[in-house]
Amino acid sequence: MLKVENVSAGYGGATVVRGVSFSLDKNESICIIGPNGCGKTTLLRAVAGLLPYSGSVELDGKPLRKMKLREIAKKIAMLSQISGIYFSYSVFETVMMGRYLHMRDSFFGAPSERDRELVFECLRAVDLTDAAGKEISALSGGQLQRVFFARALAQEPEVILLDEPTNHLDIKYQIELIEYLKEWSRAGGHRAVGVLHDINLAMRLSENMLIMKDGAVAAEGRAGEKIDSAMLRDVYGVDVVDFMRRSLRRWDGMK
Amino acid sequence: MRLKITVTIALSLVILIFGMAVGSVYITPADSLAIVWHKITGAAAPDHIKDTYVSIIWDIRLPRALLAFVVGSALSISGAVMQSVLKNPLASSYTLGVSSGASLGAAIVIICGLTVPALQMFTLPVVGFALGLGTILLAISISSRLDANLENNTIILTGMVISLFINAVVTLASALSREHIQRLIYWQMGSFQLKEWSTLFVLFPIVLAASFAVAHFNRELDMLTFGEEQAKTMGVDTKRVKWALLIIAAAMTGSAISFVGVIGFVDLVAPHIVRKIFGAAHRYVIPMSAVLGGGFMVLCDLAARTLIPLQELPVGAVTAVIGAPFFTYVYFSKRKARAC
Repeated sequence: MLKVENVSAGYGGATVVRGVSFSLDKNESICIIGPNGCGKTTLLRAVAGLLPYSGSVELDGKPLRKMKLREIAKKIAMLSQISGIYFSYSVFETVMMGRYLHMRDSFFGAPSERDRELVFECLRAVDLTDAAGKEISALSGGQLQRVFFARALAQEPEVILLDEPTNHLDIKYQIELIEYLKEWSRAGGHRAVGVLHDINLAMRLSENMLIMKDGAVAAEGRAGEKIDSAMLRDVYGVDVVDFMRRSLRRWDGMK
Repeated sequence: MRLKITVTIALSLVILIFGMAVGSVYITPADSLAIVWHKITGAAAPDHIKDTYVSIIWDIRLPRALLAFVVGSALSISGAVMQSVLKNPLASSYTLGVSSGASLGAAIVIICGLTVPALQMFTLPVVGFALGLGTILLAISISSRLDANLENNTIILTGMVISLFINAVVTLASALSREHIQRLIYWQMGSFQLKEWSTLFVLFPIVLAASFAVAHFNRELDMLTFGEEQAKTMGVDTKRVKWALLIIAAAMTGSAISFVGVIGFVDLVAPHIVRKIFGAAHRYVIPMSAVLGGGFMVLCDLAARTLIPLQELPVGAVTAVIGAPFFTYVYFSKRKARAC
């Protein structure tokens, strides 16, 4: 179980996340939604061990604070929002970096056959097998996002933390990525924690929802039970449900 | 890839041979090689080769060319490391204050006429190295106080500020002691003049060991170019690796320039050219920077001592004169290739 208990974190003196708790069983996923600046990304970074935090994060009974960076990276991968690329690598090389911990013992050694196979498997999962030899600087934002997702998969983690994984993706790949994640997290002791802006995609990924506002949990639980129109209006400051219904009416009318 | 590597190595060897052959006295490449063979194996040298030629090649030109090669390699590797670790294509030992720290050390030694008895002729190199390393440690410790995660912009800004400050101190010091100004200025322009085997014997093992250490971190270097956070989530102990790499790189530059004076541009240019030819993966970038940077430096030194007869140009200026236009060309042609 991934257990996040009373976690607070921030930057410098400012606390951005206040006392957030949630837990996640194996073969489950959860999505975190909330308005801009509510602390979703900060929470994710704290769980990944990238930010100092108070409170506790435990993975299968073991506090993350007591684990070395390397031990954490063996179990938890993170897909961050894409940033600038300074030096370009091929798609294959980039995804191979996810195998770092699995092959770090050789000095100049080439990756093993299994490493190579796994990298191609991950590339297949994101539909980029044909682009394996391409330079990542020549890719579109969406392709790059998929490369990084493949790299996270190549780590063979138990938990994947995703920060806006559907950014830059067109609607086909948005749906595919969410479906893939859903399948992925249903077996093998996997768990996915996704920070998402798109509430539709979020609900598609998981029934488990954590809704944040101003750094704290506004609501948590099964989407069908805990979420209602008033609560969403309160959190986002706009009538979300009404907006969705009106959108739906437009689609209903379309041939 | 194999072909590219072979061609680059062959090219560097050819440059190295010409670095021996060409000079005020031209000795054919074949004769030069025969002399080296004669000295190494003890086999008799061909009869037509004069003794003075043997001495020119073995005592003057070969150690000088090899030293230029080793210095070029050291500077290029250290440049490649700093660029990758700081995720900044313009990073170099200049940006982090290594060169200016070493200059300050040289200034102190030259102006005060300092000689540490135990070090003798190595006083200047050792003091230069120590202050060069000291400067980068200062830059790192200040920036890590400002920001525990060693964010990349902080450390570059800190390095620049310290660098500018120290350069100003050196300028003031040289202005105040006119009798030493010439030697100081020459030191700041770099030269391989009057270097013997002893310098090479000190520098070579240091550079070799440091190169292997850096090569050992080639995967970590790859991942660090994506930023510390991503490297961390893939399991790289970024803080430790970053410190280790920066210090090794600084030690390489520091020890190289403290023997031959400040030489810029190679550390900036060579890694970029290597990345363009061989891609960004450090398992190629590191060894190829050494080969290409070494060859480039031998070429620059050759130009420095032969372009104007009977006069020696400062090699630091030559590297910049050759390097700057070449760099501009490479940089912009790369841009174009990426746009389409």
